[in-house]
Amino acid sequence: MLAFLGTTALVLVAGAPWALLAAAGGEDLESPQNVEVSIIDDVFLLKWNSSESVGNVTFSADYQTPGMHNWIELPGCQYITGTTCDFSSVKLSVFEKIQLRIRAEKGNRTSPWHEVGSFIPFRKAQIGPPKVHLKAEDKAIIVNISPPGTKDSLMWAMDILSFTYSVVIWKNSSSVDERTETVYPGGKIYKLSPETTYCLKVKARLRLHRKVGSYSPVYCVNTTVENKLPSPENIEVDVKDQSYVLKWDYTYENMTFQAQWLRAYFKKILGNHSDKWQQIPGCENVRATQCVFPQKVFSKGAYFLRVQASDGNKTSFWSEEKRLDTEMQTVILPPVISMKSVDNSLHIYIGAPRETENKSTSQHYPLIYEIIFWENTSNAERKILQKKTDFIVPNLQPLTVYCVKARAVIEDEKWNKSSVFSDILCEKTKPGNTSITWIIAGVCTALFSIPVAIYVVKGLLRCINYVFFPSCKPPPNIDQCFSEQSLKNLLLSASEEQTERCFIIENSYSLVTVEETSQVDEDHKQYSSQTSRDSGNYSNEDENSGSKTSRELLQQGLV
Amino acid sequence: MTTGCILQIALLLCFSITALSRSFNLLQFQQRSTNLECQRLMMKLSGTPESCLNNRTNFEVPKEIEQPRQFQKEDAVLVIHDMLLQIFEIFGKNLSHTGWNETIIENLRSELSDQIDRLKAILDENTEEENPTWENSTTMLWHLRNYYTRIVQYLNAKSYSSCAWTVVWTEIYRNFSFISTLTDYLQN
Repeated sequence: MLAFLGTTALVLVAGAPWALLAAAGGEDLESPQNVEVSIIDDVFLLKWNSSESVGNVTFSADYQTPGMHNWIELPGCQYITGTTCDFSSVKLSVFEKIQLRIRAEKGNRTSPWHEVGSFIPFRKAQIGPPKVHLKAEDKAIIVNISPPGTKDSLMWAMDILSFTYSVVIWKNSSSVDERTETVYPGGKIYKLSPETTYCLKVKARLRLHRKVGSYSPVYCVNTTVENKLPSPENIEVDVKDQSYVLKWDYTYENMTFQAQWLRAYFKKILGNHSDKWQQIPGCENVRATQCVFPQKVFSKGAYFLRVQASDGNKTSFWSEEKRLDTEMQTVILPPVISMKSVDNSLHIYIGAPRETENKSTSQHYPLIYEIIFWENTSNAERKILQKKTDFIVPNLQPLTVYCVKARAVIEDEKWNKSSVFSDILCEKTKPGNTSITWIIAGVCTALFSIPVAIYVVKGLLRCINYVFFPSCKPPPNIDQCFSEQSLKNLLLSASEEQTERCFIIENSYSLVTVEETSQVDEDHKQYSSQTSRDSGNYSNEDENSGSKTSRELLQQGLV
Repeated sequence: MTTGCILQIALLLCFSITALSRSFNLLQFQQRSTNLECQRLMMKLSGTPESCLNNRTNFEVPKEIEQPRQFQKEDAVLVIHDMLLQIFEIFGKNLSHTGWNETIIENLRSELSDQIDRLKAILDENTEEENPTWENSTTMLWHLRNYYTRIVQYLNAKSYSSCAWTVVWTEIYRNFSFISTLTDYLQN
């Protein structure tokens, strides 16, 4: 017993320091602090601080997406010795929420998890620098910009079209002379001096998602010697009849020109689209500084046009690209108005424009109409803006000539497109309003009086019928005065009639037959119908039998 | 004429007057004509045998798009802009196995690009002012983008085969009917 107590005491004493040690070791490691996620393009980094001493401390992280029930180890972030880890290899879905947690480890001991609240990678992502490839001309630089991120970038795959790029360019000699421009990915910077070194840097921007990227490294390039042939300038596009007229300016004479077109969207997507430019039909090797081509060449959309000069041997660089938006060029035809004068006001009808045969479908834009009218003698114009095509201008002077012209305007604040004015139409207003008013009043009273008249006539007819053609019906409550049924029947029965059939006999050989109808309706009816049907036979029979009987009687009497 | 008949005529008149008096702004008009033009162009793309449609996958269209409740005009512009953007990107992928006419594809992408520009101009105006409902609007956007990610992953997995493109064509054509519904919310 004592020995047992002694051993227990020994164990306790010996075990105490171990227990203390164990307790001290069970004291958790401190979890990492200031944990943040940094995403630039497709590079996903996790950064943290740790107050633990460096020796043998590692860090591991897990992640979880809404579809998963458990935490999964984050590849690339297991047993990291530093304070940063890269988990880009996971190929996360950038638009799905994700949760992360990280802890410190040392041997068998771990710190509690430090959780990073759930976030959507796309929202945290920052735009990296775009890649730039330069090609110099004499007075321009072609800037080929590749969007940020790699070619198979998951992060920006859906926003490539939305990037806008701003370029800061300056002459290498003086950094003061800076210029900032917004360019397309396949864009060019113009108005530069030849034989100069220019340096530039580019940054990308996603305005919609409020993201601004970082600048690319600085690239420098030398512009070439000035080309003997300058490029055409001041390109303009006009519409005439059913064709486009492309005009430009050129300093030298006796040159041939060619013009090309490109769909506008090619400029917004990456790559060198020099093979996508196509010749404009009717503008190959023209000698004049203009060319005409039918509107049919371009279906609805936006395009870029460019012109190049050539003297047979050499060619100039391409001119500045001119944007052509076919929708902006649509010609709105003027409406057709017709007028009618009604008393001292004018009733105006606005009709659809006369369509020429060439237009297959006219664009039915939402239109409002601007109507200008004035008195023929004076010049004071009044303007009305109307959406309806059928309206009245009231309160005008009677017996005056008024003239009207109208045009169609597209109903939009930003777009100031309108047609030319229609033909001028003049009309004289009618004298006074008395006759019209009387006619209207007369018609109204007539309309009102017809039902009244019908009602009055009906009443009269009823009266006449009552007086001259009374009905034979007795008052309905008269049967209360009579108690006896037979008297009632005698006086009042309307449905049943007392019928007496009487045969007037001329010779004594026939008997008088008297029929009496019974009171019961059905029998009566049957009886009377029988008699009516067989009347001839019955009476004949009767006569015969009657005559027979009478003969018998006579015979008997004689005997 | 019975009273029932008169009542029906009166109701019909009321409805038609209401329908005709709805104001019609330019953006809605342009969006409608884009929708019609894109559908017309898609119909011109040659179809492949119907046996391909056995491989149809449910790409899980977000509910807010399939059955939209009341949409604010700004949200409608945001969603339609993104949908057109994604459709533009999808038609820019590898179409070599489809045998579709390149000019029609170019016309289609051109039409989409122009309308995207118009919508972007309006969106850029709106982002000038700080919008407190931006959070809610973007949640819808993430669901929409996950949906299009699924479509692109499907195309990748099937190596852009002709059959896979038929399935995607059907899905995109269906998208345009969703866009048409959303276009109604572009009213001021």
